[in-house]
Amino acid sequence: MIWTETGRTRSKARFFENRRLLSLVLAGVLVWSLASVDWGAGVVHTGGGGALKDFVLALFPPELSPHFLRLALIASWQTVAYAVAGITLSVIIGLPLGVVASGTLAETSRSRIAAITIVRFLLAAMRSVHELVWAVLFVAAFGLSSLAVILAIAIPYAGILGRIYSELLIDVPEEPLRALRSAGASPTRVLLYGRFPIMLGDLLSYSFYRFECAIRAAAIMSFVGIRGLGYEIQLSLNDLLFSEVWTLLLFLVALVLLVDYWSTRVRRSLAS
Amino acid sequence: MSRLPEVPDADPPVVQAKGLSKSYGQLLALSELDLTVLPGERVAVAGPSGSGKTTLLYLLAGLIQPDGGELSLMGRDMSRIRPGRELSELVGIIHQQFNLVPHLPVVHNVLAGRLGQWGTLRSLFSLVSPRDRELAQNALERLGINEKINERTLRLSGGEQQRVAIARLIVQDPRIVLADEPVSSLDPARANEILQILTGLTGDSAGALVASLHAPDLIRKYFTRVIGLREGVLQFDLPAERLDGPVLEALYDLDRNGSNQVESPIF
Repeated sequence: MIWTETGRTRSKARFFENRRLLSLVLAGVLVWSLASVDWGAGVVHTGGGGALKDFVLALFPPELSPHFLRLALIASWQTVAYAVAGITLSVIIGLPLGVVASGTLAETSRSRIAAITIVRFLLAAMRSVHELVWAVLFVAAFGLSSLAVILAIAIPYAGILGRIYSELLIDVPEEPLRALRSAGASPTRVLLYGRFPIMLGDLLSYSFYRFECAIRAAAIMSFVGIRGLGYEIQLSLNDLLFSEVWTLLLFLVALVLLVDYWSTRVRRSLAS
Repeated sequence: MSRLPEVPDADPPVVQAKGLSKSYGQLLALSELDLTVLPGERVAVAGPSGSGKTTLLYLLAGLIQPDGGELSLMGRDMSRIRPGRELSELVGIIHQQFNLVPHLPVVHNVLAGRLGQWGTLRSLFSLVSPRDRELAQNALERLGINEKINERTLRLSGGEQQRVAIARLIVQDPRIVLADEPVSSLDPARANEILQILTGLTGDSAGALVASLHAPDLIRKYFTRVIGLREGVLQFDLPAERLDGPVLEALYDLDRNGSNQVESPIF
């Protein structure tokens, strides 16, 4: 008992030491970078205050004409459509990859190590490139199409989801799985009757969170010229129509809140 | 008396262990255990915490591998029995904590006892629309909780969850039933009820029941034989009716300085 406790406190102390050292290094880097800024030559845009004031005042009220609301609604619909398609595809790709990457299905330790190594590398490669970079690549490859945007969202998100899913599958408590095994269940059946049901709540919760992120990503895809909320925001910003920008931003927030509400409802029905 | 059952010699013992050993790192959990269980026997395993009771049951269930010694079930070498269907037909275990999947409805936890028999596709379809539903229904009826069949398992009380775990074992229908401390947290009335059910499971079959428990009155009432374990070493092996106070006191005595402690590498 005493042995384990001292072991734990010692490693805890080391962890804090490392963290302190890291904080010190980071603070040093900050000071150094501040020192290298040329403060004389207009770091702050002198007309910026006025622009900020215009932007804030435009919120009262935002653009609420029926014509523009209809446009915002259509733009929201386009953004949601891309996000739904992207997240659906990423779950379809990410779940099987996550199962393989968790190594829970492998019968031998050698095949487990091989599967884990290869698939984890694949997942890391998918998620280490940002969705906008994927979008630029796919637009260059397929032209400006819906498929390019959907793939650009689906691939990095599948990389993220696959990794999270694999961790959720591994973290399932061992006892119920042991009982399933002693009832004669193969690894696949342990997955179906043990790991999946136990992790389902976390899986849904995280996938919904990623859906919110996908909405954000779909909106920003205007960068490559795809229509949707981001596209309209860009147009209104170019014309300095800040009240229109506010309306579109409020629609974006409303979408995320809707997904949040939906996610809560689904998880509550699962818990009852 | 049941150590000499009226069965022909050709019938292999249900359990035969020779020199069975298991250690976890420095800790010797089971040391050179010899044990033979004949068909129809109901064996109680007694002993203080950490004496190797759970280790013995887990070895018999094939959940862990021994470090040394031989083990055979129904005359077949344990290392040759394939995990999955074959093993699940021979032996089943009720864990101390029941180990159900709390998120699944009761019916799936009960039908999980069929997972050794079903293929993967059938198991998958059953999650959507339960196969062999009558099997689960009958098992739960036997235990008096069939009205809970569609409830989520986490909503059940501890006692009900134990019955679900037993129902799963009924559906699995193994020859050898193992139970790890099945009555440790139950009041006397419930303990009697659970032991009646468990002894009923193997009552007239060619199988056997091996359960760990402490209460001498329950051991005498429901079991034919009792073995005592202490620090992984077999202390006694008696017909249940010969279990008396002094034997048990010696087994559980905290201050006893037995020879086995000298051999034990823990201290």
